[in-house]
Amino acid sequence: MKIYFKLTILFLTIVFTSCEDVIDVDVQTGPSRLVIEASLDWEKGTTGNNQTIKLSKSTPYYDTTTNTGVTNASVRVTNDNDNTEFVFTHQGNGEYTTTNFIPVIGQSYTLEVVHEGETYIANETLMPVVDIDGITQSIESGFDEEDLEVNVIFTDPEEQENYYLFKFHKQGDLLPVLEEGDDEFVNGNEITWWFEKEEDDETDKIEAFLPGDTVNIDFFGISESYSNYIGILIEQSWGAGLFSTTPVPLRGNCINTTNADNYAFGYFRLTQVVRTSYTFQ
Amino acid sequence: MKNLVLLFMLCTAVLSAQENYTVSGIIKEAKNGETAFGASVFLKGTSIGSISNEYGFFSITAPKGTYTLVVSYMGFENMSQEITLDQNQKVNFEMEEASTQLDEVIVVAEETERANLKKPEMSVSKLNIRTVKQMPVVLGEVDVIKSLQMLPGVTKNGEGSGGFHVRGGAADQNLVLLDEAIIYNTSHMLGFFSVFNADAIKDIKLYKGGIPARFGGRTSSVLDIRQKDGNSKNFTFTGGLGLISSRLAVEGPMFKDKGSFLIAGRSSYINLFLKAADEKNRLGFYDLNLKTNYKLNANNKLYLSGYFGRDSFRFGESFRSSYGNASGNIRWNHIFNDRLFSNLSLIYSKYDYDLGITDDEFDWISSIKNYNAKYDLKYYASDKFKLDFGASAIYYDFDPGQVRPTSETSPINPLSLDRKKALESGLYINAEHKLTDKLTAQYGVRLSSFSRLGGQAMVDYANNQPVVYNNTLGIYERGTEIGETNYEKDETIKKFSNLEPRASLAYQLNENASVKAGYSRSAQYIHLLSNTTSITPLDVWTTSGKYIKPQISDQFALGYFRNFKDKIYSLEVEAYYKTTDNRIDYIDGSDLIGQNTIETEILHGEARAYGLEFLVRKNEGRFTGWLAYTISKAEQRTLGGIAGGPGINNGNWYNSAFDRTQDLSITGAYELNDKWSFGSNLVFQTGRPVTYPNGQYQYEGQSVASFSDRNSDRLPAYHRLDVSATYKPNRKPNKRWKGEWVFGIYNVYNHKNAASISFTQNEDFGNNEATRTAIFGMVPSVTYNFKF
Repeated sequence: MKIYFKLTILFLTIVFTSCEDVIDVDVQTGPSRLVIEASLDWEKGTTGNNQTIKLSKSTPYYDTTTNTGVTNASVRVTNDNDNTEFVFTHQGNGEYTTTNFIPVIGQSYTLEVVHEGETYIANETLMPVVDIDGITQSIESGFDEEDLEVNVIFTDPEEQENYYLFKFHKQGDLLPVLEEGDDEFVNGNEITWWFEKEEDDETDKIEAFLPGDTVNIDFFGISESYSNYIGILIEQSWGAGLFSTTPVPLRGNCINTTNADNYAFGYFRLTQVVRTSYTFQ
Repeated sequence: MKNLVLLFMLCTAVLSAQENYTVSGIIKEAKNGETAFGASVFLKGTSIGSISNEYGFFSITAPKGTYTLVVSYMGFENMSQEITLDQNQKVNFEMEEASTQLDEVIVVAEETERANLKKPEMSVSKLNIRTVKQMPVVLGEVDVIKSLQMLPGVTKNGEGSGGFHVRGGAADQNLVLLDEAIIYNTSHMLGFFSVFNADAIKDIKLYKGGIPARFGGRTSSVLDIRQKDGNSKNFTFTGGLGLISSRLAVEGPMFKDKGSFLIAGRSSYINLFLKAADEKNRLGFYDLNLKTNYKLNANNKLYLSGYFGRDSFRFGESFRSSYGNASGNIRWNHIFNDRLFSNLSLIYSKYDYDLGITDDEFDWISSIKNYNAKYDLKYYASDKFKLDFGASAIYYDFDPGQVRPTSETSPINPLSLDRKKALESGLYINAEHKLTDKLTAQYGVRLSSFSRLGGQAMVDYANNQPVVYNNTLGIYERGTEIGETNYEKDETIKKFSNLEPRASLAYQLNENASVKAGYSRSAQYIHLLSNTTSITPLDVWTTSGKYIKPQISDQFALGYFRNFKDKIYSLEVEAYYKTTDNRIDYIDGSDLIGQNTIETEILHGEARAYGLEFLVRKNEGRFTGWLAYTISKAEQRTLGGIAGGPGINNGNWYNSAFDRTQDLSITGAYELNDKWSFGSNLVFQTGRPVTYPNGQYQYEGQSVASFSDRNSDRLPAYHRLDVSATYKPNRKPNKRWKGEWVFGIYNVYNHKNAASISFTQNEDFGNNEATRTAIFGMVPSVTYNFKF
């Protein structure tokens, strides 16, 4: 629903926006924080035993160093019901893995990260996701009527509130595109979620999908609080345009129990995910 | 309250005890019969005088005797008449336009635009529509709202933003009235143009502070726009052809000289170009102004006026949207006697928008309607004492949003957000009291009340907290719903009442200088919800009620006013300090779209603003114009309050989005000869507060920006220069057709003023970058205006 408002406004803005250019702008530099990317995603049809948690440090906004992995932390996840402990061991460059994680739908887990004497704790529940009923392509839907879009069709369960995350990654693109949705206006219905890539008028490069292009699709079931988090993150990644919501500092669910002010970025999420791909005809 | 009324009556009684008589009447322009607002009427050789009101009415009371009654109205020849005051009498005036000799063009500012030394009225700017029309404008579209930002203390968020900001206030804190009807959205096309068609407008008055007691409901300012009555002598056609739109206005006498009418229309023709270019998208706007009046007899006159304007957009077959204001009103001027003037107004106004999504087959509609009855009286008790009093009631009907599937197959479920109804009423009394020859006071009070009406259920929250601070995560979250309370139609959910004192004092130091001081309190019961950088046509209004408190504002102002060199120059200096309680701000991550429980997204805070304004004007000569400079600060603080926690930005004061440290505007007009005249604007403003990133991190394969505290950065300064030239071709004196060409260049040096700066990761290279969006670069324009 929100997307329609945004698109309408976006359209109006485009109409009048005569010029956009990249300029140098000085920004402030905040404190460097620990970043916890603890995404325990259980792919449907797998055991979900292999999981990775990434730890890194935040950098100044324009910094281009990528080697920010945190190598000296200890990481473990506990099943809150039976206290089973899954220890994640460091594999290099800030990646911590386990091969024996046991995912249980609806189960809550606790993450504990100890880094430089400070302990970070997060708590989250593993959310299920429905199956994808079908994937189609079309031209006339979507924002632009001349561009191809992919349609992901699924049926929203009526009995509870559902929150979804999509990750579309066109093969060959540097960056994936995240989209988030919920069933507020569509509860219990069959939902067709379209995705298309917009042409950029500024460049001659062809951005839109063409026959033969393949797009990887990840379809996650997520919790309400993660939906709030990722929703803000996605919106802010579009940039703060004229009619965008004022950007806000984004707080995840990882709490520093030693020193609350030194909170961590990132999120401890547990999801079920359908991973698939689609090649345009 | 009772005591106050008693006091007024006492004063009145004492003052009218002498043997006094009254002369009253209506002042009009001879050429077209338009009533003259702000003409000064005085008895020669005395300090007894009056200013004509919005309907041209004046009343002067003086001791028995013989006098010369003089009327002066700038741009018109002075008129005078001998009168013998031995009984009450009526004198009407029809003012002849000042004739200008060919080689001696003298342009004179409106009397009321100059510094008015005697009246305690301060923080008021009156703009004559002629002044507005002289200013260079973007694409040749004369713009009332944009011209306001040339005044001290008034700013606008660049081109792509609706509304305007007065003394650090938000756009929704301005009461915008068109012939007394409330206009909720003042802009066409997201703020590029204003909804007011200059051809239909007579004059514009902006109260930045010291808001008279007869106005209420907004804390920052009142913009009072009056439509022309229509020419009661001849049929005239006025129009113009511009690059974006064209206009036509017709006016003339009606009802056998007992009345007149005006119909003015304006329409954009961008769609024609889009069609020609085979574009599937459409955008456009139009508006229609109507006015007519009928004189029943010497003491009764009826006015009917209306406005209807709309914008519509279509993006291919996928989306369409339209929005607009509509208003209509009927007014009855009744003169009870020489000293008592009254006006009764019944007003309807509406703002609505709709959004249609073809793909998912649904419409989204939202509207705000209000019905307003007002009765205003003015009693000219004596030359020393005038009394305004009256009452008003506004019934609001808010429809914040409805989703309507347009087909059986639509995947969207129908939904209606709760309609909200409310009644706002006001009672006021205000005196203008000349205490001594040099000291004049204006004092009064407005009693406002607001009832949020039932007929719906309201959610109840645990611990009565719609928003709760989550101590563990350090964020604000929606409160826990524990049930709901149902309110019957005849029940009131919540009622508020406020006593709003308003007072000001003018002390005349000498012939050419005066000092003034003022205090006013005002309450605002309805609020525009917008958590975006700029307000959009899709933002909705909400009411005060069970969880949302009314905003209360107190303003103090001090001013020094001086005329120089025979009133050719004038100087106005004003300082103000303003505080506002219960100013809403939004919690991080607030979601306002389709939100039925707005109270879960907001916190109540406070705001304060202070500043110093300078205005130097040259009022006469070939060159006229002014320089306005403001230095100011506008901040707000939003504590956690009942929700707990430190609040927004850790409970510290932060810049409000309308804070401008410096604001300089210079506007000038130069009459070279009777064929050519030139105009120019120069604007410089400190950039507006925004929020920039202060770091980044890797998440989900992307660089994610972390942001600093709210509004702790600023856009680069905004500045631009505009010029215009008007050419009036040779005319034969008797020819009716009068045409003129207006050539303009907006933003002459093509400065790319940032409307916003957006921080994103480059899709191809992965680096972070800042992208500036500038709306208008240099824009040349040509417009042809005509009148016959």
